[in-house]
Amino acid sequence: MTLKHIGCKHNRNESMKAPRLRKQWRALALGAAAAATFLSVCLADQEASAQEIQLTGPLAGAPAVRKLRLHRDGRFEITPNVSFTLLDEYQRTIIPGLRAMYHFTDWFGLAVWGGYGLQYSTGLTDQLQEKAVDGRNCDGNPSAQECRLTAVNLGHGSLTDNQLAKWQWMVAPELHFIPFRGKLSLFSVLFVDTDVNFFVGPAIIGLQERVECGKDGDGNVIALKCDNQTSFTLDSRVTVAPTFGLGLNFYPTHIFGFGAEWRGMPFEWNTSGFDNFGGPPDGDFPDNAVNSQDREFKFNSMLTVNFIFRFPDLAVSD
Amino acid sequence: MAMNQARVGLLVAAAALVGLPALLHASHADAQPKQPDKAEADPKKGDAADPKKGDPADPKKGDQKVADPGGEPGGEPGGEAPGGEQPGGTDPGGAGGGLEELCAIDPDACKAVDLEKAAAREMNPEIYAVQQIYALRRLRFELNPYVGLGINDQFVSHPAIGLATNFYITNVIGVGLNGNFYFNSPSSFNFQTSRAARIGQSITEYQWNANANFLYVPVYGKFAGFSDFIFHYDIYILGGVGAISTRPIAVVDPDNRTFDWKPKVAFNAGVGLRIFFNRWFAVTAEMRDYIFPDELENQTIATGVDAATGQPNAQKPETWLADEVNWTNNVQAQLGISIFLPPSWEYRLPK
Repeated sequence: MTLKHIGCKHNRNESMKAPRLRKQWRALALGAAAAATFLSVCLADQEASAQEIQLTGPLAGAPAVRKLRLHRDGRFEITPNVSFTLLDEYQRTIIPGLRAMYHFTDWFGLAVWGGYGLQYSTGLTDQLQEKAVDGRNCDGNPSAQECRLTAVNLGHGSLTDNQLAKWQWMVAPELHFIPFRGKLSLFSVLFVDTDVNFFVGPAIIGLQERVECGKDGDGNVIALKCDNQTSFTLDSRVTVAPTFGLGLNFYPTHIFGFGAEWRGMPFEWNTSGFDNFGGPPDGDFPDNAVNSQDREFKFNSMLTVNFIFRFPDLAVSD
Repeated sequence: MAMNQARVGLLVAAAALVGLPALLHASHADAQPKQPDKAEADPKKGDAADPKKGDPADPKKGDQKVADPGGEPGGEPGGEAPGGEQPGGTDPGGAGGGLEELCAIDPDACKAVDLEKAAAREMNPEIYAVQQIYALRRLRFELNPYVGLGINDQFVSHPAIGLATNFYITNVIGVGLNGNFYFNSPSSFNFQTSRAARIGQSITEYQWNANANFLYVPVYGKFAGFSDFIFHYDIYILGGVGAISTRPIAVVDPDNRTFDWKPKVAFNAGVGLRIFFNRWFAVTAEMRDYIFPDELENQTIATGVDAATGQPNAQKPETWLADEVNWTNNVQAQLGISIFLPPSWEYRLPK
């Protein structure tokens, strides 16, 4: 029962005195009219109470957030991190890296991230190595049917060393936007400041891919044939790709935080070193050449674990 | 007559004087969430001042009453009052009258303490670190239709539609069932690898799965979007056991081999994020790993002919499957909506 109802009851109590003035009908009518007016005000107030709260309540005009710890505003950041590539076909990559960032405001910052890739093979690569390379022993039996049919695509040595593409390094200037800021409760005991950041920028990526053989990307014949074992080597190239993603960050202290980040970095590359495309009629068939036409668009992605250090000490909003 | 009129006028004026402040007070009182009013009005539904009975604000059960010395920036505002990061609304300017009243009540304290100074000092009030969790789950059902996509099988894509139903025994513990119906499509990557390396990779397609699950919700939080609006979320973990129906796709000897669906026991574990749009509707994103012992196609083709029947051994179903069982992880990303029933509830405490 709210006080508003008590107020209305007061009015009824007062109006009960009206029968005492039986002789003064006019006065009674006046009193009844006043009471009716008062009751209508009560009822009208009940119906419009939600609106009244917004207009005149104690929270009217209050900001959504007060006394916010500004973990980013005007602060520098150094973040050692480790990234793990996802959905890899032949090789997984672990990328130790470093991000340097300056936050112009609590919701916007400019960063540079870089890393170096370390690879290890997937189960598929291990199986190919075991069954299609080591098991066939094409060095000792080059005329076997399976060896002749795969001569363009499979070397006789290590797949990971000689033909599977790999990330070598990457550098990316990034714009960071931080639209969401909050906190979480863990087991209703620990409370940690959090935020969500989105970032975007161009990435410069150093790759290693199997060398061109048979024909170059424009169709010009190359002396190095793809069934020649010397074509099973890696060549370096640099490509530029968009990179973007989002991260969830936790700040147990003013200086140190940690977080997880998902990053997309789509570009075309030939991860297997196979001759998959370039042949007639529409380029979707093998052409006994390995070149840029064999590159395929991959939505490369990775998860990053960040260890965030920021300085100087943070400020608190109004 | 004039006297009587004057008396009536005085009565009306008195009624207005009594009623108007009450009205003003009432509009302030209405600024509180509606649910506490109901709880206070109905003693059978819970003593608002009794934390032992009140579940949402019971420190042992959920809304922990914890002193917040730093004025947590993300302090739970109770959903209705997004500005509740600090115990706002205090009025230091109103100290004068209050101090006089205090002196009248307790003259000794008035002599011993500089009340002006004491009143001006910064308060460190006890507030609820998590005040009135915006979306309580206790004793509520959750319906969670979703779409799923297998993310770790490069050879066959397994998009799925699914439905989960959960019942929360407490605010953080629930039990439930979920099921998936799968669609399968061998990928171009499978074709390219087979063509280039002349090797067949055993692949599997899924039909359905069903699971009984246990859920735990250790994380509850909120975010301020652009410092303007607030939304609430939780993170849950879950695990369970059930069955999945699968069969191999014939790759090595498709001329002879056809496989029937066969259910296998399946275990699952996962983690999910639920973002509340209101107290009964949320979107969910979940990552679940369904782990099961799969039967794969035999990579070798049996040779010879059965002497008794004259049937080629390659056509005998008992030769089609590999001897060893392969434990398979079907890691599935799921995106869906959650509908909580009943859609509303009553808080036990006003804060």
